[in-house]
Amino acid sequence: MKISDRQMNIVIEICGSAGEGTISAGEIFSRFMSAQGFEIMSFDAYPAEIRGFGKCVAHTRVSSTPIYSPGKLADVLIALNDNHAISQLSALKKDGILIYDNQPPKPHEEDKSVVAQADAETISYGVPLTMLAQKAAGNARGRNMVALGAVTALFHLDRDAFTDSIKERYGKKKQIVIDANVNSFLEGFDWTKEHIDKTDDISFEGLTRPGTPAQQTKEKLIINGNQLVAKAALDADLKFYAGYPITPATKIMEILSKELPKHGGALLQTEDEISAIGAVIGAGYGGIRAMTGTSGPGFALMTEFTGLSVMAEVPAVIIDSQRGGPSTGIPTKTEQSDFNAAVFGGTGDCPRVVLAPTDTQSCYDATVLALYIAEKYQTLVVLLLDFFLSNSIRNIDAPQKPAQKMLNANIAPDAADLTDYQRYKITDSGISPRTIPGTPDGMFFATGLEHDALGRPNYTDKGHLAMTAKRFRKHAGVLNEAPAPVISGLDGSSAGTDTKMSDYSGTKKMVDIGVISWGSSAGAAHEAVMTAAGEGITGAAFSSMMLSPFPENDLAAFADRCKKILIPELNYTGQFADFVTKIIQRPVERLTFITGRPMAAEDIVEKMREM
Amino acid sequence: MDMASTDMTADTDRSLYLDEKLAQVQEKDFLKYRSPDLPTWCPGCGYFGIMDAFYKACRELDLPHENICAVSGIGCSGRTPIFINSYGFHTLHGRSIPVATGLKLAREDLTVFAMAGDGDALGIGGGHLPHAARKNIDITFILFDNAIYGLTKGQSSSTTPYEMKTNSHPVGNPDTPLNPIKLALAYGSSFVARGYAGDPEGMKAIIKAGTLHKGFSFIQILTPCVTFDKANRTWKALKENVCCLNLHLPAPDNMESAMRAAENEPYGVGIFFQDKVRPSYQDTLRMLNA
Repeated sequence: MKISDRQMNIVIEICGSAGEGTISAGEIFSRFMSAQGFEIMSFDAYPAEIRGFGKCVAHTRVSSTPIYSPGKLADVLIALNDNHAISQLSALKKDGILIYDNQPPKPHEEDKSVVAQADAETISYGVPLTMLAQKAAGNARGRNMVALGAVTALFHLDRDAFTDSIKERYGKKKQIVIDANVNSFLEGFDWTKEHIDKTDDISFEGLTRPGTPAQQTKEKLIINGNQLVAKAALDADLKFYAGYPITPATKIMEILSKELPKHGGALLQTEDEISAIGAVIGAGYGGIRAMTGTSGPGFALMTEFTGLSVMAEVPAVIIDSQRGGPSTGIPTKTEQSDFNAAVFGGTGDCPRVVLAPTDTQSCYDATVLALYIAEKYQTLVVLLLDFFLSNSIRNIDAPQKPAQKMLNANIAPDAADLTDYQRYKITDSGISPRTIPGTPDGMFFATGLEHDALGRPNYTDKGHLAMTAKRFRKHAGVLNEAPAPVISGLDGSSAGTDTKMSDYSGTKKMVDIGVISWGSSAGAAHEAVMTAAGEGITGAAFSSMMLSPFPENDLAAFADRCKKILIPELNYTGQFADFVTKIIQRPVERLTFITGRPMAAEDIVEKMREM
Repeated sequence: MDMASTDMTADTDRSLYLDEKLAQVQEKDFLKYRSPDLPTWCPGCGYFGIMDAFYKACRELDLPHENICAVSGIGCSGRTPIFINSYGFHTLHGRSIPVATGLKLAREDLTVFAMAGDGDALGIGGGHLPHAARKNIDITFILFDNAIYGLTKGQSSSTTPYEMKTNSHPVGNPDTPLNPIKLALAYGSSFVARGYAGDPEGMKAIIKAGTLHKGFSFIQILTPCVTFDKANRTWKALKENVCCLNLHLPAPDNMESAMRAAENEPYGVGIFFQDKVRPSYQDTLRMLNA
């Protein structure tokens, strides 16, 4: 095999205690691999406690081909801490590679070491992590760097370039810190080169990123969902963010706190989430773009205000980065269990808009779209992220800045509208031209009470019906402007290419299994369909960023082409499956997990085999 | 002018004079700040007096209608923005302060009022007041304090006196009432005042001062609920007890004397406290980001 035809697609996990540099080692590794021209997707699992020796896992998928999901099992496990790593062995492939400390500071009882617990087929490389770190810097802190040195030597990575990456990472620290880290790395590299007899076949030598030469050299943005949402919001002219600290959404607030003042905006840290959404609605009423972000427990509080945004027709955007629930739940684990709360939560007939990005890249577009829809349609938009999307790091192409049309979306009244101005005029689109305070002829009164076209309280049956119908009419317009669902594999041949339902109008072929997914599970679903195709299972995948209103016609057309339907999602009951079943009126297979881990393509493929 | 004159010239003169005066009155008419909608409050309600003072304060400050925004919660006081010829936002129970805060941060050019009743501001929304106060958000907060839940027909509120019989506590209120002025002071409000619904001139002066104050202005208005409180905070009781504050103030920003007055003068009206130096929230942000 020629080197250029070779592909490499592996998962590396670093496992250690909180405070041992596990997560930083993972970050340095993925940044380096990205700079070397590979696709990366990384994801950290850590305890809710800041310190206290909890288990940390830095999970990184590195590939010379496009990545759709983080990968379920690891090819390589680096054990910085044997106790924790033993419990992580179940996530290591049977024939995977284990890198462990063969001269730990306190010798393990024989059967308590990770190498003793590993599978017989596992390739184990013992490296004296602690000893080498001691040698390099006089303390054991650099064990994580020793391990990275070993990885660099084992898998034929560029030693000098990696050294530069470490220098860059610690560039702002004291020279002694930089030296300690670099020397530990080099000790690990040299020792491994000299002492390890390599028996695995993982090698990145001569491999580069996929694509054309132009794509290969294009600088990638290394970013997670939270960072991308903040960046998108600033690009989309966000001027106000109110928030209350909550994992995993806090980072959005922290970034915007720093950036908003530079963009002429303001950040408000509120006393609770009720106040945060209240302030956002106040700012939206004032005519500027405003947003808040939270997770399940905070979203529960914000539900109080969602009806007001819809009823008084004031723009508001809420980000709900889902974590394990209900109640305080599992703050640092990912789940997709707020679907019902976002789409149906609250009282009354309340047509809100719900969007869920399907991968890191789409966090950008979804945020821009959310702010646009909220402003133009004068309504509440919920943006559903999850712990995985918020924190998982990818290298992506820098997103294109939003078009002007996306930035100035308010439909303002013209001179004719302003004579005897009716703020809540009944219109076909459901959108009534909106003034902002300061407009002399456009004064109005907004209320959460049912009202007439002027905004005055009105409780007549006809009035309530007309206004409710008007508010629901906005959904048609929103759906019209929403990005079409992404479909792959429906013609049996184009698995992996992103297409729309209309692209398949020419064929009538049926596939065995249609996989319908949403949010961060979508990547795994599309990948599963591709993998299954290699095993002779014809499958197709359907995912929609728009959850409410939902592209029901596309969904029905897709389902008509599938013999069986599978719905994978990260909640216990299959909330999305219930939703889909109601639309397509036929039984579906459910694949649900609440393990706290992101959806794995491997699990979907396994289920497809069973079907 | 001799009003009894039947002289033609005098008549014309008088007519011209009246036209001119009428035009002047209309020009200055504070009623312009009233919306065409008639209030829905009970006859004899103290809120009419509060609104009268509010309209006059707006008139005397010459606030452009379109730059006023009145934000309210739920309850009898919640309806207030409907009766003002300006922008208005009737929000949720207890939430006028968060919405007014967001609006002011978005639009510093607007004059933002938040209005709430005692149940609204001190009960369900009690968690917001400390933070608007300590942040010194530049809004004017008017507490319509009638010591009862009126719109739900007479239940005890956070300021209902101990042992008073209400519909939710027919044998007597077991809860100790809050002292709104003491709270406002403790929370760090930079302007704290109390008015009385039967004293339009006093209320007008306080609302004007609060509106001009740069920072969080807390104004408690003592007002009766003529329908559901026939025993405690009645017009008669208020009329007999309300008096001007006797602060013996060393300075308007003396917290100690303000606290003493808040404790000892439950019916004293006037300005308890004003810190004119402390920067508003937005001024602080500008300072920190400079």
